[in-house]
Amino acid sequence: MNTDFDIVIVGSGAGGAPIAREAARAGKRVLVLEKGPLIQPQDSSPNGRSSFKRDELLSDGAEKILTLPGLANTGSSYYSSHVEPDLNDEPHIYQGAVGADRATIEGYTAQVVGGGTQLYGGVSLRFTPTDLRLKSFNEGRSSLPSDPNDDVKRNARDWPISYDELEPYYCKAEKLVGLNGEQTNQQKPFSQTDTYQPPLLANPISQFAHTGMQALAAQLNPAAPVQPYRTPLAVITRDHEPSGRKVPDPESLKTSYVNRYGDPLGYKSNTWVALLRPLTTLENFEIRCNCVVTHLQSDGTRVNRVFYLDPSGQEQSVTGKIVVVACSAIETVRLLQLSAALDGRFDQQINQNGLLGRYFLTHCFGGASALVPGRYDKSRSLDADWATDCCGVPSFLESHQLWAGAAIYNNTSDQALPLSLLRTHYAEDLDSLWNGFMADTSLRGQGLIDFLQEQFGRGLSVSFMGNHLPQATNRIQLHPRITDKWGRPVAHIIKNWHPHDEYLMDTMADQCGQVLRLGAGSDPSFKFLGQGSVKDSPLRIANHILGGARFGDDPADSVLDKNCRAWHFDNLYVTDGAFMPTSGGANPTNTIEANSFRVADQIVPLL
Amino acid sequence: MDAQYTLNYCTKYLARYNPEARHAFTPADQGTVAGTICEAWRFPMIDTYAGGSGDITDPALFSSYNQVTFVFRELATKPATSVGVIGTFNNLYSVIPMSRVPFGDVPTAFWAISVAVPKRQVHRYRYVVDGKVMNDEINPQTTSLPTGQVWSRFFTEECAENLVLEDWEQALLYRLVEQMAPFRTTDGQRFLDQFYTFLDNSNKISNYEHAYRFDESVGEVGYIDNLLAREEHHRLVDYKICLSIIRQVLRLRNPFEEPVAISGEYYNALYDEMATDKVDGWDTSRYGSPLFFLNLLRRHACAGSFSHPKYGGNSGGAGWAYLSERFPDGRGGTLFDWGAAIEPPLGRNAHYLG
Repeated sequence: MNTDFDIVIVGSGAGGAPIAREAARAGKRVLVLEKGPLIQPQDSSPNGRSSFKRDELLSDGAEKILTLPGLANTGSSYYSSHVEPDLNDEPHIYQGAVGADRATIEGYTAQVVGGGTQLYGGVSLRFTPTDLRLKSFNEGRSSLPSDPNDDVKRNARDWPISYDELEPYYCKAEKLVGLNGEQTNQQKPFSQTDTYQPPLLANPISQFAHTGMQALAAQLNPAAPVQPYRTPLAVITRDHEPSGRKVPDPESLKTSYVNRYGDPLGYKSNTWVALLRPLTTLENFEIRCNCVVTHLQSDGTRVNRVFYLDPSGQEQSVTGKIVVVACSAIETVRLLQLSAALDGRFDQQINQNGLLGRYFLTHCFGGASALVPGRYDKSRSLDADWATDCCGVPSFLESHQLWAGAAIYNNTSDQALPLSLLRTHYAEDLDSLWNGFMADTSLRGQGLIDFLQEQFGRGLSVSFMGNHLPQATNRIQLHPRITDKWGRPVAHIIKNWHPHDEYLMDTMADQCGQVLRLGAGSDPSFKFLGQGSVKDSPLRIANHILGGARFGDDPADSVLDKNCRAWHFDNLYVTDGAFMPTSGGANPTNTIEANSFRVADQIVPLL
Repeated sequence: MDAQYTLNYCTKYLARYNPEARHAFTPADQGTVAGTICEAWRFPMIDTYAGGSGDITDPALFSSYNQVTFVFRELATKPATSVGVIGTFNNLYSVIPMSRVPFGDVPTAFWAISVAVPKRQVHRYRYVVDGKVMNDEINPQTTSLPTGQVWSRFFTEECAENLVLEDWEQALLYRLVEQMAPFRTTDGQRFLDQFYTFLDNSNKISNYEHAYRFDESVGEVGYIDNLLAREEHHRLVDYKICLSIIRQVLRLRNPFEEPVAISGEYYNALYDEMATDKVDGWDTSRYGSPLFFLNLLRRHACAGSFSHPKYGGNSGGAGWAYLSERFPDGRGGTLFDWGAAIEPPLGRNAHYLG
């Protein structure tokens, strides 16, 4: 096997794949190292079958029991996807507000070629121009609610790049990855009109969300309502020339085996089918999967060797003129910290300002749910139909005294299948699957029929995804006690909400509740179930993991420079969500991909 | 043997340095190799068959078979020069050679072979490593012969044989599960009567060996037996203890009839008591929480009703079909068109092959 490359990329998801594509197409010798398996969709599998399946016990499988000692959830049951890391083998340990450590894995942390883009629902929004300049936006504003110490002004950061600098790369990512959606009504400028394939017909249940979003827009700003648009989704609906994928029958694509499922047919645009698989005909591109990178070694200002374990656990190493780390924010920070612990020179270069691991971010997340009048076949849908930016525009942030905004979209595929309906009944998140069902012993026989009669095909939820205020105390470090299956310390994450985050979540949950209430009008069979947010959830702390190695213009205030190069290295780059100084008011994948295409334009010419 | 496919399982579940028994969920798993391995039950891997065996080349037959992939992990201290597998799925004593799984041009520590085995079967097997016959130490499933000899065991999809539960345990379980799944209601029963009547007889015999039970269920007990034999074998002990306690409790309440024959009222009352975690006559020194067991059983009964039929329940998609019929769209169609997403012959998706 080759051991010398122009560029070695750790991770094959949203942060790594765009750079691999650009470098490989430029003729550079590229190696992608991926910890997880390579699961082919049917059309590139040797026997025409995929290990991704439409099987409700693959997304959340058999019961397992957490045996790691001394944790707040030791002894509890968990149910993981076949491509999620196992909790006993490779947990993330979160320190909760009560100081008790708890093992968990974030939703959508997937160990597989394609990373989280294999499991995601595919919601692929852009961040708004304001999302990228929250320091400037908040300067000069009077104090905000629940922020007595002016933490917003102290901690908000502008990105070192503007929306306009990123915008061409959004276009590039959207076209190359393969999204469907519509631009009209989005409050983000588009320089090209053809970035999306056309959306499929919305599931009829989403009409309530659509009507509600229109009504909310009219309430918020009668003179110039910010109208909803079809949610951009990473599912191709037409033949996709850049990746060579074909769509024989668009409307047949609809399946609720989408969010938390890999797609056996390859229509969901993950980074494997969209960006990497087309490279496999090139001799200068190689991907080694089932290979976990253990540490990077430095000779001063260069990373001169990347060490990994091959599929049976034998240590191997390779070199690259450039090394890109993009294995999801927590694992990236952990890899850099593990490297520093093993190599004094690496430590000296990466830890010059104590910021590595700091300003870990997730999203302020929550929403509202209801049972709508009538019944709909939710099993024939994609993950989300309608979205609105009406709570992300500056006028909304001013009127509601928020430091930053949030996107709102409706979920269509949730609880569409019988087991997902039952196991997420009153479950706060993926760490409490089945708990609500089990606690509700009235769900038996006729009681179960009544429950299905009331709920099946009638549930509609609306979610918000909002900016999380950066705090230095929210951080990723190495756990002092727990090790993974390779004997390496696991990540220890400390994360708490700022009071203004809680204020933002309450405000946004209320908007989502309004969407549903306004959408149903006065129909007596409409039943509002509730609204809320992750601020009240003591369990799984994040779905999106970001920050920890933020980029900036000032080496004293950031870990990476504007091009995502570690400040004191010549050849080390970080391009997963770890680079983000603020988390944006939307799902992050599209932005991670766009930024990686931008970084690729900077570094490929250096090779 | 597809090396990529095989390594996809080997690295995640088998490869490791940490020797702790992190995956031993019961005392019996302590000290076993399987207790140190993540999801050891995944081995041998049972998957969709899609050709590859010289014997079964007609695509029309593929859905009657599973692809079974055996994996042997060689220890660094004990390198092997030849590895093979024998078993009742083949003629018992001819060794099928396994080959070392390559990673690119580098050999790995894993040996593997994929074979085609009909669905709904149970088999025993052993590895032959450099002439020495041994059980598969990864797979926790074993079976004992009348001679006392212990072999490794596996079973294929939709298995309807009793694997780990005795006949009386299954019968008792069947009565308990009636209380949970929606099929014992008048409406549910009418549906199932119809569903199974419409299956033609040959189908019924070949696919549903326990068809007599399906008059009132969709095979949840079969699902539970499969699950306790494999994925959740750590819960078998819960079932063994609790079913024995429940039999004892019901015998106390009605000494004149066998617990499996008594009226539903007893089971109904038992369910209500278990739901409050206080059951008259329950020996808490043997099992602390009747509610905990009730909830385990409820989770399993529901998963068995609505998970993919390959897991042994939801026979023929009856659980899904029940929902389809229950929720019509008023235009002759349904508001749960499950077949649209699912592979043929069970479903009717034109592209997805399972």
